[in-house]
Amino acid sequence: MENFLEQMAELFEVDSVNLQDEVIAFDEWDSLTGLSIISLADDEYGIIISVNDILEAKTIQGLYELFNQKK
Amino acid sequence: MLYNPVSLIDRRYLITGAASGLGKATSILLSKLGAELILVDIDEEGLNDTSKMCSSNVVKVIINLYDISELKTKIKDSVTKFGKLNGFVHLAGRPYISPLKSINEKTTTEVFMLNTYVGIELAKICTNRKIFAGERGSLVFISSVYGLVGSAANVGYAMSKSALHGVTKSLAIELASKNIRVNCIAPGFIKTNMLQKISESFNSEYNDTLTKLHPLGLGEADDVANSVAFLLSDMSKWITGSIMNVDGGFTAQ
Repeated sequence: MENFLEQMAELFEVDSVNLQDEVIAFDEWDSLTGLSIISLADDEYGIIISVNDILEAKTIQGLYELFNQKK
Repeated sequence: MLYNPVSLIDRRYLITGAASGLGKATSILLSKLGAELILVDIDEEGLNDTSKMCSSNVVKVIINLYDISELKTKIKDSVTKFGKLNGFVHLAGRPYISPLKSINEKTTTEVFMLNTYVGIELAKICTNRKIFAGERGSLVFISSVYGLVGSAANVGYAMSKSALHGVTKSLAIELASKNIRVNCIAPGFIKTNMLQKISESFNSEYNDTLTKLHPLGLGEADDVANSVAFLLSDMSKWITGSIMNVDGGFTAQ
């Protein structure tokens, strides 16, 4: 979990993230950050997700569950 | 105050390879134009030399650029103390003269790592909102005429430098929305220690041939430094994704 949160903070270019943070509320959220999340999921977690999956996940908690559900 | 569109006052840049050659000349010039600099190199003595010749606020950071983790940590630490950056110039690099039959994977990978991939990592680090000043962004890569035209026994080096052209254009598109410009300078042969070392591998005819390849003669380090200053300044605010030939006419032939 800790590693996942660090990875999210890195992608959203903030010092840290909270589980309840909304993905689209980050200043850095855009299509390229979305692609970065998709790329991270594939490279490091071995799962294929879409932008829609990310949007439906809504929060960092949702993304964490998405990453683990698809594993 | 006189109008000076190349002024770099209130700007901060990171310069790799700052201890010698093009990096040293560029650091000194940018400093004269008012830029504050993070000088990066593995050569401490050379960095001290460059630092003494700079007239603005500079900090020296000794980094082994092959260590990406160290690169990231040390830049972040420096920026915390020094202030956010407007960009960087990746001048660190190494030659690799080897015919195809003697080329090896280890050296080729090292050349690619230093000349090319470190540039991508620098872009990743320096455009992060925790590092980037948020305005007047400009990244400059240094390739070579041999990223543009062929020469024998140079395939590893040519690979690393021509790759920078793709990197430049791709990042120019990706970073335009952040108002960060990305450009590349492709210099001809410059009178530096690196050239001196290469020349020593050949006979005197090589030097004559080399000079003849440049209609304006061999370049000075300042010729490249001047172009870097232009690409960092507001004079080039509508230029991104360009490969600037600074080669005394080498590639015009």
